[in-house]
Amino acid sequence: MHSDVIAADHHHENHHHNADATDVFGFWLYIMTDCILFSCLFATFLVLNYQSFHGIDLKYYIDLSVVLIETFFLLASNFTFCLAILNLYEDKIHKVVAWLIITFFLGASFVFLEVKEFIHLAKSGFRWDVSGQASSFFTLVGTHGLHVSFGLFWILVMIFQLPILGISSVTKRRITYLGLFWNFLDIVWIFVFTIVYLMGAM
Amino acid sequence: MNHHDADPVDYGTGQKKLGIYVSGIISCTILTLISFWAVMSGKLSKWEMFIVIFASACIQFLVQVVSFLRLNTQTEQGKTNVLALIFTGIILICIIIGSLWIMGNLSFYTIR
Repeated sequence: MHSDVIAADHHHENHHHNADATDVFGFWLYIMTDCILFSCLFATFLVLNYQSFHGIDLKYYIDLSVVLIETFFLLASNFTFCLAILNLYEDKIHKVVAWLIITFFLGASFVFLEVKEFIHLAKSGFRWDVSGQASSFFTLVGTHGLHVSFGLFWILVMIFQLPILGISSVTKRRITYLGLFWNFLDIVWIFVFTIVYLMGAM
Repeated sequence: MNHHDADPVDYGTGQKKLGIYVSGIISCTILTLISFWAVMSGKLSKWEMFIVIFASACIQFLVQVVSFLRLNTQTEQGKTNVLALIFTGIILICIIIGSLWIMGNLSFYTIR
């Protein structure tokens, strides 16, 4: 009788675990489709920048040291998120929340710098409507910034949700989704700063 | 009966170890600095810059995938994830290289 219960329990756990794994795979596929969205934006940017007449050069408006600082904010936030995941698996809920708050502020600094840069660009004449090149620049970098802003909102939701729900298989799964999303955004940023900023400044 | 120790939840995202994360962030920092130095110092020719920044971007991509996303081929789900990534990579290359190729042909007479 007792062993039956344990077996049933174990079966249930196993089933649950498999369902979770399938869910995470589904989220991974969503990220892959997002990758394709970004590749279309990159292709548009490259075509409009290097194979057509372009009005004004981006390089006279961009300050690379600001981009470098942005990059480090995003990289550091990625690392602190990994530390949050590490603590999640050791069931230290306060540390998880603390690292998530640090991640949130690092990500928010990134978005703040980016918005400030956009305003500076627009004020000095590199507006989104001056050329196809400028439009593709703002669409690509803006889409990435929008994703980061959405990720920030999601981190905020998890910061409030974790103390209420505690560490369970549900919250672990949600943090796993968020971790994949956040790391993915940093990977996209590698190509944004290489192709848009560094190649633009060459 | 302790499921946590016997069967840690994995989701195909690999083991979580501090050492891997630390080595990941250190190598990413170095690669980012190399990229920015190559362009900002102005000591390299255009082609050298181009090669350096793309090589470092590709290496950094691999480092991030291995150390932060923790993609691996140890579990069944890990393999499926890697397969999805490779498939996406093929589509991505088709879109980007294809666009550049076609648009390059179209503007053959207009530039230069």
